[in-house]
Formats: sequence, C-alpha cells, structure tokens
Amino acid sequence: MKVGLFIPCFVNAIYPQVGVASYKLLRSLGVDVDYPLGQTCCGQPMANGGFEKDSAPLARNMEKLFHDYDYVVGPSGSCVAFVKDHYPDILHKEAHECLSSRIYEICEFIHDVVKPSELPHASFPHKVSVHNSCHGLRLLGLASPSELNIPHFSKLKDLLSMVDGIEITEPSRVDECCGFGGMFSVEEPAVSACMGQDKVRDHMSTGAEYITGADSSCLMHMEGVIKREKLPIKTIHIVEILASNL
Amino acid sequence: MTSKDTILEALKANSPAPVERGPLGFTPMTFQDPLAKFQENVVSIAAAKCFLLQDGESVDDIIRRVYPDAKRIASNLPEVTCATVNPDGLDDPRQLAGTDVGVVRGEFGVVENGAIWIPRAVRHKALMFISEALVILLDRRNIVNNMHEAYARPGFDDYEFGSFIAGPSKTADIEQALVIGAHGPRDVTVILL
Amino acid sequence: MSSHSKAAEKFIADRPRTDWHNQALWFVRQKRDNMARSIPEWEALREAAARTKMHTITHLAYYLEMFERNATANGIHVHWAKDALEHNETVYNILKEHGVKHLVKSKSMLAEECGLSPYLEERGIEAVESDLGERIMQLMHQPPSHIVLPAIHVKRQEVGELFERELGTEHGNSDPTYLTHAAREHLRDKFLHADAAMTGVNFAVASSGAFVVCTNEGNADMGTSFPKLHIAIMGLEKVIPDYDALAIYHRLLARSATGQHSTTYTSHYKRPVEGQEMHIVIVDNGRSKILGNPVHRNMLRCLRCGSCMNTCPVYRRSGGYSYSYFIPGPLGINLGMLADPKQYSGNVSACSLCMSCSNVCPVKIDLGEQIYSWRQELDTLGLANPVKKGIVKVLNTALGSPGMFHFCIKAGRLGEKISPRGLLYCGANAWGRSRELPEFTARTFEQIWKEELSSTASCNTETARKGSSTNI
Repeated sequence: MKVGLFIPCFVNAIYPQVGVASYKLLRSLGVDVDYPLGQTCCGQPMANGGFEKDSAPLARNMEKLFHDYDYVVGPSGSCVAFVKDHYPDILHKEAHECLSSRIYEICEFIHDVVKPSELPHASFPHKVSVHNSCHGLRLLGLASPSELNIPHFSKLKDLLSMVDGIEITEPSRVDECCGFGGMFSVEEPAVSACMGQDKVRDHMSTGAEYITGADSSCLMHMEGVIKREKLPIKTIHIVEILASNL
Repeated sequence: MTSKDTILEALKANSPAPVERGPLGFTPMTFQDPLAKFQENVVSIAAAKCFLLQDGESVDDIIRRVYPDAKRIASNLPEVTCATVNPDGLDDPRQLAGTDVGVVRGEFGVVENGAIWIPRAVRHKALMFISEALVILLDRRNIVNNMHEAYARPGFDDYEFGSFIAGPSKTADIEQALVIGAHGPRDVTVILL
Repeated sequence: MSSHSKAAEKFIADRPRTDWHNQALWFVRQKRDNMARSIPEWEALREAAARTKMHTITHLAYYLEMFERNATANGIHVHWAKDALEHNETVYNILKEHGVKHLVKSKSMLAEECGLSPYLEERGIEAVESDLGERIMQLMHQPPSHIVLPAIHVKRQEVGELFERELGTEHGNSDPTYLTHAAREHLRDKFLHADAAMTGVNFAVASSGAFVVCTNEGNADMGTSFPKLHIAIMGLEKVIPDYDALAIYHRLLARSATGQHSTTYTSHYKRPVEGQEMHIVIVDNGRSKILGNPVHRNMLRCLRCGSCMNTCPVYRRSGGYSYSYFIPGPLGINLGMLADPKQYSGNVSACSLCMSCSNVCPVKIDLGEQIYSWRQELDTLGLANPVKKGIVKVLNTALGSPGMFHFCIKAGRLGEKISPRGLLYCGANAWGRSRELPEFTARTFEQIWKEELSSTASCNTETARKGSSTNI
C-alpha cells in the first residue's frame, strides 16, 4: 500500500509542522508514505468563491501527482472534502476514476484504514477543546453532526483518547461554524470575524488550553482572532498531538 | 388559454422524470401504555389539564370544580347539563363572544403530540376558539400512537372542518417568551370518559 | 462588498443586540434538536418526507388537478393565478364582489411574496395581520424578518413602546404576557368585525380536497369563524397526495420550525360551513419554472419551516433585514436567486458553506450545495464580485505552478518583513480588521521534505513495512 501525502497550499506555507507531524505519525504506524513534489493547491479557494472552473488545472495537477498512489492522505478535512465531492464534476469523470475515491482526511484514514489500537508514543498532558469543523463533520463524517439523530460518534475523540494525559472537551455549540469559509472570510468580514470570536470564546469557556481539530483552515481563522485579542488559548492541529514525541 | 391551462402546461413541460413514492420505510414510534402517556403529554406537551373521569363522577362535576367562576357555559352535548347556552341555537357566531367555557367532543387523541382531533360538531366552529376555556370530552379508548395512525383511522376524511388541538392558544412572538392565551382559549381541560 | 455584507456589518456594529439575536435563534435550533432526538425514526422520516415531495413535484399537474376536482366537489371555489399580479387581482376581485372593506389575515409568506397587503390597501381594503408577530411588524410598518418568527429581531421594550403608542398600553410595561393579552383584546375586535378572512395554506390534500392551516395562536381559525368569506392562498407546491403524506409532514413541520411536537392548532378546512363562501387561489409565480431547473428544483419541496434560518450562523448574526430578498437565510438566498438573480445576487455571499442548513431541513433540501452552485453561476450571469474575481486571478497565478507558488511564498515572507503594520492592516485588508494575518514560516513543508524527510522516507520504507504492527 502506497500512500501519498497531500499537503494543502496554506499548510505548506504556514503550518509545515502539521505536514511533518502527519508524515511522522503515518510512518510510526507503519504506513509507506511519500510526498510527491510539486503540490500547490486543490482548487477549493476559487471554487468556494464561485470560480470552480478555475480549479480545473489544479485538479488535473493533483490527479497527475497522485496517480500512482493507493491512498492520498491530507491533514485538512475541508480540502479533502473538496477533492472528494467536486473533482468528478470538475474533471468530468466518475468518482472511481479520480482521486475522489482514494483520498482521506488523515484522522479518517488512521481511524478507518490503519485502525491502530494504541499510540504508545503520544502524550499531551493538556486540556484540549475539539473543534468539529463543518466539512470534516458534515461532508466527511469525522463525527456525528449535531443536527442529525444518529448514534453519537467522533473519530477525532477516538484518536485523541489514545493520547496519554490528555483531557478532552468540546464547546457548547459543538459543531457551529468558526466563520472561516475561505473567500467568505474576506467577502463577509464582519459576520466571519463575529463567528470566529464567538467560536473561540465557546472553546475558551471549556477551560481548555488548546483548540484542536482536523482542519488547519479553521484553526488558522481562530488563531487570527486569538492573536488579535491576545486571548489565553492556543490552536494546535490534531496530528501534532497524535504525533507528539515522534 | 386560461391561467389554469397555462400553469398546468408549464408544469407538464418542465416536469422531470417521475419519482416513485416508495414505501414509508420505517416503523413509527408507539408507546407501551398509550393512555398513560397521552395523559402525561396532554399536560406536559400541550399545557392542558387532563382528568380521567372516575366512577360516580360526572362531567359537570369536573367542569364545575375546574371552572367554579364560569357563568356562561356553552355546549350542545347532552351530558353537559351545566351548560347555560346551547350554541346551536345562536344564529350569529359573534354571539359566542363572552363564553367562559365551551365544551366539545373530541374524536381521538394522539399520544406523540398530545393533540386531539375535533371535527366540528357544533353549528359555529367559533365555539372552539372564542371560549375563554375549552373543555374537550374524549373516549379514553380512542387513543392513537402517532400521526400515521391518526390519519389512517377509518372515516377520518368525514369532516367539514376539523382541528388537531394541542392545549390552549399560545404564542412566543415577543422575545420567544411563551405566553398562553394568544387569541383562542387561555385554558384547555381534557376529560377522558 | 456584497449588499448582504454591508448590511450585516451595520447589524453587527451593535454587538450586544447581535449576540441576543444569535442566542434567541440558537435557542429555537436547540429546541428543534431536542425534538429530532426524541423521535427514533427522525432520519427515516426526513427521508420519507423528501421522497414523497420528490414524487409530488414530479406529478404536480396530476395532484393539482385532483385537488381542484375534490375541492370543487366539496364546495370550495378554486382559482388559478400565473403570477403575483393575477393573484392580487383575483383576491381583490373576490373581495370587491363581496363589498369587503376589512380583511383579517393570518400569516402567509405567499401574500408577502405577492405584495398583497399594499395592493389591497391602495384599493381601500384594510388587511389586518392577526398573527402577533406579524401584527407587531405591521404596526411598526416593517416587513417580517423571519418567516416563522416575524418579530424575532424586536425587543420586548420596543413592543411595549409600540403598543403604548398604538394600543394604549401602560407606559413602561414590556411584560410579554401583558403585551400579548393587550394584542388579544385589540385583535378580538378585528376578528369579530372583519368582512372576510384570509389564510395561507400549509398543505393541500389532493385526495380529499381539504387544506391544512397550522398556527399556535389560533388566529387563522378565529379569523375564519365569523365572516362569511374565507379566501385561502397557496403556492402550487403546497399540494400533497393524501393523508399518508400529511402524516409525515404534520410530524416534521412544528418540530423543525419551533421545536414543538405539533402546532397548537392544525386545522383542516374541507367544506365551507352554512352561509359561508370559501375560495382558494393556487399560485404559480415562477414555481413551474423552478420545476424545470435541475439544480434548484429541490426548492419546491420546502415546507417553509424556517429551520434553515435558525441554524444558519450567518443569519443569526446578521438578521433578516441584511438580506435583500423578503425571505432571509439559506432559503431566501436560493429563492431570491430563482426569483431574480440580478436583484438578489448580493445575498449569495452570506454563507460559509457550513452545510448545517442541509442537515436540519426536514425535506432534505441541499440548501448549502445549491448556494455553492449559485456562486458558480454568478460569473456567467455577469454578477460576480469584481474584487473577488481579482483575488481569484491572483490565486490562479500564484497556485498555477509549483515554481510560482514557492516564488510567491518567498515574496510573501519578504512582504511581511518589510511592510509596516499600517500597510499590512490597511482598510483594504478585510481579514485584518479583526484578525491577525497568518505568517509564513521560514521553510515550507516542501523544503523541509527535501532537506530532512525525503531521505528517511525512501530508506525506511521497507523497515517500516516489515516492522508494521498493523495489518496493511
């Protein structure tokens, strides 16, 4: 099984440590993982803004780079969901003919495909508040969305519960949007920022030291709020916790 | 071409491939003790009062006990002997204004929402809405679990006007604060016969 | 900036009020969640509701004709109206024939859609709203800000002041119970003296020719209890096949809308009573066209429960008036675009694509996905935001090739270093008004990979595979 590591543009440029942690974590689980060079972006930013046709060249590049891998795994739920849900349309192909059928968000991949029973190295003696990102939940099914009457589950909490010393909590509005939404954050700056501020405060009210989740973009948005207001909470990507001490 | 024809033609022209209706696909919820749960829901969900008529007790006893100050009691039901007005004798429904208690018969109750189906069996349906308090008499054997059972009851369609009524009139239009007694009855009492 | 974005900014400027509005609607969403969880078959019920609606909207002509046939046999006069104007004329003509001067109305979004009340008032007919929230808005001379909770944005003190002015209530008394009972007295008089009553229609049951009107206040029933004339108006998508279908929607509507098990009154009108005349107007006004739109025809399933508004994080924080269409939220974004893209494209930005609306919808309309689709159409319609278009051009270049991508990151790093904060956070930086910008790191992941990780990947792959404790 060959796994290609998909590192979204902003993770590459802003949060490379998330990529490093992803790599180390997969390696520690015995996964044969490689990073194909030449990655830029999956095309989601333009598509969510209304320019899906502009993401076609990027989609073709992604298809080319990851053509020979059995699985493609990335540390960003929203980007993965975009590839999964929209590439067939963008590329005019069936889902099984493109990346859509082989791409996984990293927690989903570890939880559903690798299925480790323990993460012996991982230790994080802190209280974390889980950020259930919209696309991770409602498009990828990383946890049960609060709107649905289905049995409760959370792949993120399942994985975090294997980390030594961690205390896991969730905000009261457990999966309300943080207000990032890509282009939304600059096209609707007032609402977007308001949502971000509310979300950070909801996380803070749990008493957590960290907000953690599977979407770097949401974390980036909340980090922007935290830094501006100098709030006593930090953001950390979930793989950084799962890969601690590696 | 009439507007009807224009509309129907446009609908036919624009209609996509027909979609089959298919089976319901689930078993609707039922309750272990429907009567007990119904009584509970009439109170907790519908915010009404609920009494199971006891041996030796009359409907009048309960009405008098719950509404001791009622002066104008309107009903066309033979068992309501405390009625002071037969509403069917009034030509104009406006004459029902000022009714303290209206008494009507419900046909069946629905456990899942505490509502009671009341087909109009009085001359003026106004009685059900303008009375300050509404008393609903219901045969305790006529309880269904859910709305599927309700609408599937034989003869359901046999009405001119009918309403599923769940308790007193209410509103939350001012700051989501629940207020009882918006336009209709401020109080509802269900008597299970 | 889009029209919604501008209006939202104004709304949010009063942050305490925004928080209050947000919380009030979140409370309704929570009540809806409690209902959903109390029904074990909830998701299957939504599925059945969606499928039954799909069946119905693919047989609309059939069921509408069936409804007309049965309603006519029941003694109801059935009218058809192609558009808003014909609807208004039809209603007006019926009222005129009966010499009606005072009409009492229960809440109808169709009447709002057609602009009925102003139309009638211009012709000398008073149309009094009888739903408390609608009446408050009418007395304030404002439209409703929510389709189910028309006055959700109004504070009790404001209602107190309004009623003091209009109804003569006590000065300074803003107790909701007191104010509601004052409205009760005020409207009781309107009910008793109206010449005609108008209601909307929640469901029209084809197999029976009956129509169903749902209220909590009993205002529709009170309104129709006294005058000799009852006019009901319905969008043609309100028809459903039969009582089996009605059971499904009856169970979903109030639970989704307000988190109640059912509305207090679910009233079924089948035949006019002694001495009364009953009319129903079936209105198209663009609906048949929506049926022909493969991406957006799902909108015809809508029950108008408003749950998509209550859950929408943008609606809750921007209020109903921030949308230029008379229906706000995810529903209004979509219906506005279907009504007139030129006029209402300013609402399409009001969505973070969180998809919560699609999850609460009792008939499983893909509301969020449809907003995504509208965004794709804006450029073709010549309605794309030029600034956003510019950003996308820059992104296309920056992300178009790996070389350009890494060059831009380098340039970005340099820009961060040499630009004064005032430039980075200038007025044009919409992000930076309330959020710090993320910073580029010294090395990209690709650099780290090349310099540190790639060697470990190739030489350790075999050992990793052998040493694997997992079954892959």
